[in-house]
Amino acid sequence: MSIMVMLKLLSAGMLKSISIFAFTLILSIPLGMLVAFGRMSKNKVISNIIKIYISIMRGTPLMLQLLVVYFGPNLLFGMNIAGYKYPAIIIGFAINYAAYFAEIFRSGIQSMPQGQYEAADVLGYSKRQTFMKIILPQVAKRVLPPVTNETITLVKDTSLAYALSYTEMFTLAKQIAAAQTTFAPLFIGGIFYYVFNFVVAEVMNFIERKMDYYK
Amino acid sequence: MKKKILAVALCLVMVLTMFAGCGSKDATTGGDTITTFNVGFDAEYPPFGYMDDNGDYTGFDLEVAQAVCDLEGWELIKTPINWDAKDQELNSGAIDCIWNGFTINGREDSYTWSVPYCDNSQVVVVAEGAGIATLADLAGKKVGVQAASAALSVLTDEEAQKELGDSFGELAQFGDYNAAFAELAAGALDALAIDIGVAKYQLNSRGEGFVILDEHLNAEQYGVGFKLGNEELRDIINADLEKLYADGTITALAEKYEIADMIILGA
Repeated sequence: MSIMVMLKLLSAGMLKSISIFAFTLILSIPLGMLVAFGRMSKNKVISNIIKIYISIMRGTPLMLQLLVVYFGPNLLFGMNIAGYKYPAIIIGFAINYAAYFAEIFRSGIQSMPQGQYEAADVLGYSKRQTFMKIILPQVAKRVLPPVTNETITLVKDTSLAYALSYTEMFTLAKQIAAAQTTFAPLFIGGIFYYVFNFVVAEVMNFIERKMDYYK
Repeated sequence: MKKKILAVALCLVMVLTMFAGCGSKDATTGGDTITTFNVGFDAEYPPFGYMDDNGDYTGFDLEVAQAVCDLEGWELIKTPINWDAKDQELNSGAIDCIWNGFTINGREDSYTWSVPYCDNSQVVVVAEGAGIATLADLAGKKVGVQAASAALSVLTDEEAQKELGDSFGELAQFGDYNAAFAELAAGALDALAIDIGVAKYQLNSRGEGFVILDEHLNAEQYGVGFKLGNEELRDIINADLEKLYADGTITALAEKYEIADMIILGA
């Protein structure tokens, strides 16, 4: 196999990896926000349910979660799961990453000094206004570095989709490696991840600088 | 506020459309009008199923499956599967059959099988000059075997070669052949127990340095595996295999993939 063909194949696979990455990010960040609020809820029932959810998502392997999300409907309810593979991957990744994002958001929100809430109250801000106009903009700045961490991990975690026989970039690299009996495709796969992560890190860095409006 | 509602609504729509994909596609097992034939295979299993130099999935088994589809007027769908999840893929209807150097022996009751079409022995590959010439020499050695493979069941089955397997120093399971051969070449493994067809492909492709022991672990056969009870589809494939053997298609393909001496159809 020529190097050009290999690069073309791996690029096509990388598009699939990136689609998993993008959909997961779009879904898991808002979901993570909701989970964070649930976790901080004064309602004991809600906060305990969310605690268990986060505990399971963080405490079990993502690969197993993907298998459960994909094959679960068939094993438990006998449903036909033809065509459900890609949605299952996105759902699996999104609910897992939401748990991690939720804890990052919670740490950001809880790091805000109580005095700011009191000052806002004195100035006549409603609870919603206080959160949207005072707390959230500061939280966004504060949580950006750990969110970048998670995002970069997510890029590499997309390779776990192979557990559901989804041929994203790294699965393709492994198939080419098997047919050509060489490790070279795996290294090229590594370069693909690195380049993409480099871009992700630069973008996050740019956003961080944009948000640094008080310096 | 409006923007936020819109954003949430869009997210919901996205999730719902993803679910909408479920169940809209019919599996082809019903038997009324079959139009597609969805073959599950391990794309890391040359020469039976793998990716060729142009990036297309090919191999002996896939080409025979294509010939069957040409006969029946079906569309062949090649679905590379994660070998560890093959049963879930088959039983959930995601694929119609497993057709990829799939060993019958030891799995007789787990699938509805086609006629055996290919003879396949389990053999042992060692590094040249390692001083291992017979199976008895393997006592106390570290032997590698692919996870969930036929070789593994041979070496752990009471009625097969469990005694031999127990004589090994260690039976290590690996995921793919590149890693296994790299370990063998580096001395981290003393021997590999694998299918003869795969062993020949690997040795051809890697050149010098490895030998196949003359003594085989056992003799086995490959078949096409269908979901238990799916005899309707099985009978169609069986008839087509005989037809394709009679008109020489299968022999020609076997010669192309250098496994002609292993075909056992029409016997």
